Order: sequence, then C-alpha cells, then structure tokens
Amino acid sequence: MAESEKTLLKIRGLKTWYPIKKGVLARTVDHVRAVDGVDMEVRKGETLGIVGESGSGKSTLARTILRLEKPRAGSIEVNGKNILSLKGKALRDYRRTVQVVFQDPQASLNPRHTVLELLTEAMLVHGLTTREGRRAAATELLDDVGMSADMLDRYPHAFSGGQRQRICIARALSLKPQLLICDEAVSALDLSVRAQALNLLQDLKAKHGLSYLFITHDIGVVQHLADRIAVMRDGRIVEHGDADDVLQNPAHPYTRLLLQAVPVIRTSPQ
Amino acid sequence: MEARSETSVLQRLWQRWDTRLCLLAVAVYTLAALYGEAVYRYYRIADRAPAYNSVCEEARYVPPLFARVFSAGAPGAAGRPLYLLGSDNLGRDVLQRLVQGTRIAFHVGIVTSLIAIPLGVVLGCAGGYFGGRADSLVVWLCATVASMPGLLFILAIAMVIGQGLAGVYLGIGLTTWVSVCRNIRGEVIKHRERAYVQAARVLGYSDLRIIFRHVLPNVAHIVLIAFSIRFPSSVAMEVFISFLGIGVQGEPSWGIMINNARLRLWQGVWWEMTFVSLAIFGLVLAFNHLADALRDLLDPALRNEAAN
Repeated sequence: MAESEKTLLKIRGLKTWYPIKKGVLARTVDHVRAVDGVDMEVRKGETLGIVGESGSGKSTLARTILRLEKPRAGSIEVNGKNILSLKGKALRDYRRTVQVVFQDPQASLNPRHTVLELLTEAMLVHGLTTREGRRAAATELLDDVGMSADMLDRYPHAFSGGQRQRICIARALSLKPQLLICDEAVSALDLSVRAQALNLLQDLKAKHGLSYLFITHDIGVVQHLADRIAVMRDGRIVEHGDADDVLQNPAHPYTRLLLQAVPVIRTSPQ
Repeated sequence: MEARSETSVLQRLWQRWDTRLCLLAVAVYTLAALYGEAVYRYYRIADRAPAYNSVCEEARYVPPLFARVFSAGAPGAAGRPLYLLGSDNLGRDVLQRLVQGTRIAFHVGIVTSLIAIPLGVVLGCAGGYFGGRADSLVVWLCATVASMPGLLFILAIAMVIGQGLAGVYLGIGLTTWVSVCRNIRGEVIKHRERAYVQAARVLGYSDLRIIFRHVLPNVAHIVLIAFSIRFPSSVAMEVFISFLGIGVQGEPSWGIMINNARLRLWQGVWWEMTFVSLAIFGLVLAFNHLADALRDLLDPALRNEAAN
C-alpha cells in the first residue's frame, strides 16, 4: 500500500476527443484525438515535466485533470479518489487540491479587480478567510512570491509580466493545493524573468510541500526542475522516465528531436 | 476602475467638438423631458386641464413668433401663450406640446430599455456562458423574435392589453432585446475562453459568480453602447406607432403631432410639422452619433491596447 499512498495523481487510459461537426444538423463526423490513451502518475512531492510540441495534447491533458474538459474514456484519481464524477461541493473541495498557472498572466487576471480581490476571492469562496482577515492573508501570499504588500490595491495592468505571473502563482497557492499544474507557466516570460520564476517555483515547492505537473514545449525549461519527464506526441506519451535518463539517453527518436531543438549558449570558446 | 474609465469616456466625448455638441443636445432634451414631466405632474395634481391641451378657438393657426414679426397682424391677447413656435388647428401651443412629446419619448426610450436590456443581457449571458442546449435555445428565441415583423407583434400586444403607453412599452421592449442579446452573447463567448474565466472555474467559483462578477463587468460597455443605439430607434418606433393611432392616447406625442399636422400641411401650416420633425431629427442624430463615438471608444475590437 505504500506505493499508492505516495501517488497523488493517477491517470489511466485517458482519452479526450473533440468532435468535428459538419453539415446543417451538426453531425459529428470525426474527432480530434487531443488526448488519446494516456497513463501516468505524479507522486507526492515530485515534479513531473510533460514535454511536447504544440498540438501534442499537453494542455488538453491539463484541462481534463482540471475538469475543464470532459474526457471520453479513462480515469483520473487524485489521492485515490476518482475525480471525474465529482459534483457540487465535492467538486469545489477538489478545486482546493489541484490548482493551475496558465501561460498568459495578463489574460489570467481579471483586469477590473485589484490584486487584493484577485488573491482573496477564492479564499472567501472556500471559507478560508474572512472579509476582515483578507488583507493579512493576501499580504502573506504576496510575501511568498516575493512581492510587497503595498501592491495590494493596484490593478493588474500596473505590473510587468513577471510580476503578474507571480500574482497568478500566489492566487493558485491561496487554496493551499497539493498539486500545481503549470501550463506553459514561464513560456511567455523573457529569459531572465523566466529563471527567477523557476527558482521561485522551486522554493515554493520545498516550502509548501507541493507537487508539480510542469507542462512545456521547451525541454530546456524542465531540465533543471523535473524529477521525471514524460514526452507527449499526438495525444500519447511516447517516452517517460527519470529526468536524467530521458535527457541523457533518449529512447524515442522524437525525444532526441526535442533535445536537439534546445539552443545551447556557450559563454566561452571551447 | 469602473468609475474611472467611465469618467474618462465622458471626458473624451467632451473633448471632441462634434460629440460635445451631441452631449449638449442630449442634455437639452433631457432637461426638456424633465420640465415636461414636472408640468405634467403639476396639472395632474392641480386637477386642471393642462395648458398644452387647452383649446383656444381664436388663436388657431398662429404662425411662429419669428414669422409673425414680419407680418402685421399679431394676436396679442393677454393670458394666452406667446406661441413661440406657433399654434395648431385647435389653438394649442406647439412648443408646449413638443416638450410634452419629449417627455413621452424619454419615457418610451427608458422604459423599453429597462425591459429589453435586462432581458437581452440575461439571455445573452446564459447562452454565451453555458453553451450547448441553453445556447441553442437562446439562438432559437432570438431568431424567432427577429423573424417576426416588429410592428405586427406590437399590434398584437396592443390588441391584448389595449391601446396606450403600456402596449408601446411592452411591444417595443419585447421585440428589440434581440440585438442586445446577440451582442452580449458574442462577447461572452469570447470571454468564456479567456484564461481569467478558466482560472475562475478552476478556483471553484460558482457559474453565477463568474457571470456577474467577472464576465459581466467586462462586457458592460456593450450595454452602454446598446442603450445609446436603441434609445433613438425606440423613440422613432413610438412616433411611428402613435402616428398610426395605436400608441399614446390623449397626450401630445410626437407621432400624434405629426399625424395632426399632416392634414393641414397643404394649407400652408408648415410650422407644426417642421418643428416636430426637427425635434425627432435632432434627438436621433445626437444619440446615434454618440453611439458611434461610444462604440469607437469602448469596443475592444476597435480599441488599440495602448489606449487601454
């Protein structure tokens, strides 16, 4: 049983297809098989990197785990409980276990809400804080991501991309999740800011005992972060294993292709 | 943020001379409507026949003041209105009746908006946000209502609840929500796929909270634009309905005045028709031009990010 206690997320035979509709009656003529039979696990406290090119189904996989898409077949278990049938209050409780940081921090933040509202609305909805306590709670969250409390009353447009992404991370952490899905979370940031964000995620992982599902098209990003790597292509996982194994001895030709695509920066002539 | 962006929109409308003129015109009409309402209330409370309806046999067909200056005979009887814009076939003051017509026009514009906009917003949000069957139902409703000739619908309602303003309100209100609904639905569909709505769903917010606290404030500009577009069109509609004689009864609406003036136009009584037409023309033009400017300012499809 020790094995299953350590498993946080377990996915079996997951298929998420989008129908292609045609004609006046919108009959379904075919499907886009975005996720087509995925098996995988995330253990507690580990970082699983999912790598693949655009259109390989990584984001759909994340959206299915987040219950934003309905899968066609398969099962998703979180802490040993099937989450695909959850409804109402049970679904709301599940939201506290798994959270997400999306790619575009600007689009992820409602432009009409202040940072204070953005950070604490979820906590209020879930009864984790009160109207009186929200300022303190938000200050703590901002502190976690290395921002100061005097930014609480500003609107998202007043921040840089990196700061906005920190706000998104802080908001996701406000519900004290066990699993944080980072869907291309650093892809929109420029290189220096990206490194800071990755370090921040690394620190937060240790501090809050998080597990990460780190989705990216850029294998270079997961190199430093991931304990294990799964390579996805056309809705399937073509290779997975410990990060070092996959990076050093890629078994699948597609993985080799991805590795070749990582730009190498040489600082001194060799 | 809401209040701030709204004042800046007003300021920007004020900075341009054409929209400033429109704002001033709308202000004048609004004041006239308020004054008309006060006069109307006063006569109701005082329980007297209102001045704008009082018949004066001796002062029929008095031309407007500026036309009288050049001609000799001026009926300067005391206790009678000045007839600044002339009098009609019963010796009633055209100016006072115009003001009353403005009052009716604003009533119609506002009450029909209060019916059409909430209906359109609720249905548009429901269809756009939930999609699937709810959306199909909303689209079907829109198509069905849009396919009926609006006038027939209004006639039917007037048959059922009788002639008068209530029928006009309901008739116009229940036929013109479609464009509001379509605009809102389209905008909500756009926002539904945005990351901030996705994030809100993942954070466990209820659908109602997402619609009203997150999506609706971001599509509120559509409501403002919709109001400024449909206000003049519903006023014009009321004029038309009253002209046909199934609208307002016993009160001087613009439509009734036009219908009244039409019969004497060929006798050379040009002033009543002219001033009513000018009043309608001015109101519709001012509102339509403001609606255009508002759409340019607020519609994100037309607005560049830098201006945000």
